[in-house]
Amino acid sequence: MAADNVPQRPDQPPGQPRSPGRRFTAKKLVIGTGLVAYSWFAASTEPFTRDALLIVLVPGAVIGFLAYGRPPARIPPPQSLDITGFSYWALTIAILFEWEAAAFKDNSQWWHPALTDLVDPMLGSHPVKALAILIWLLAGWGLVRR
Amino acid sequence: MVTRVITIVGFVIVILALFVLEYLGRRKDNRIPTLGEWLGFVMRPWAGRFLILLGWLWLGWHYFSR
Repeated sequence: MAADNVPQRPDQPPGQPRSPGRRFTAKKLVIGTGLVAYSWFAASTEPFTRDALLIVLVPGAVIGFLAYGRPPARIPPPQSLDITGFSYWALTIAILFEWEAAAFKDNSQWWHPALTDLVDPMLGSHPVKALAILIWLLAGWGLVRR
Repeated sequence: MVTRVITIVGFVIVILALFVLEYLGRRKDNRIPTLGEWLGFVMRPWAGRFLILLGWLWLGWHYFSR
């Protein structure tokens, strides 16, 4: 092909190997470290406080800005979905909601706890809560790319 | 006590089923979409994108703020 010899980056001296992978990894490392540090800090906030609200609203604002202001390269969605295949997901999620709603309806008694009642004690541990926040942040980033 | 165990086992089974669906969706020649695929499809229109992101924000508020 005629364009094969054209350097993709004119500022790069000929013969110099490109290292986009290394730069990409360094960027990922910096962002990853920042996210871990943020999660660790966020996990130390007390529930029902202004700080606890802010540690959720700030990432929410960032994700909202990224989603609508500066969307990153998105993973192309499928043009169509297999209805039968999707119905398995819909049914399972509906069952999860029903199971949760049954507990909610009974005012989440001890004998029929809601998912929140089961998860909250686990989030009492600082490392577990930090990990959960990190997963939540990564899920937000994953959603923005969709 | 038994009722509580049944409730917890119910949650575990349903959540495990979600992981199984994801695993099946990642196999080749399968009709089941992955979580990312169907979420991407739902998020194609503006409203779908907004609602899914709102759900994500609600999850964070529900579990980490209160």
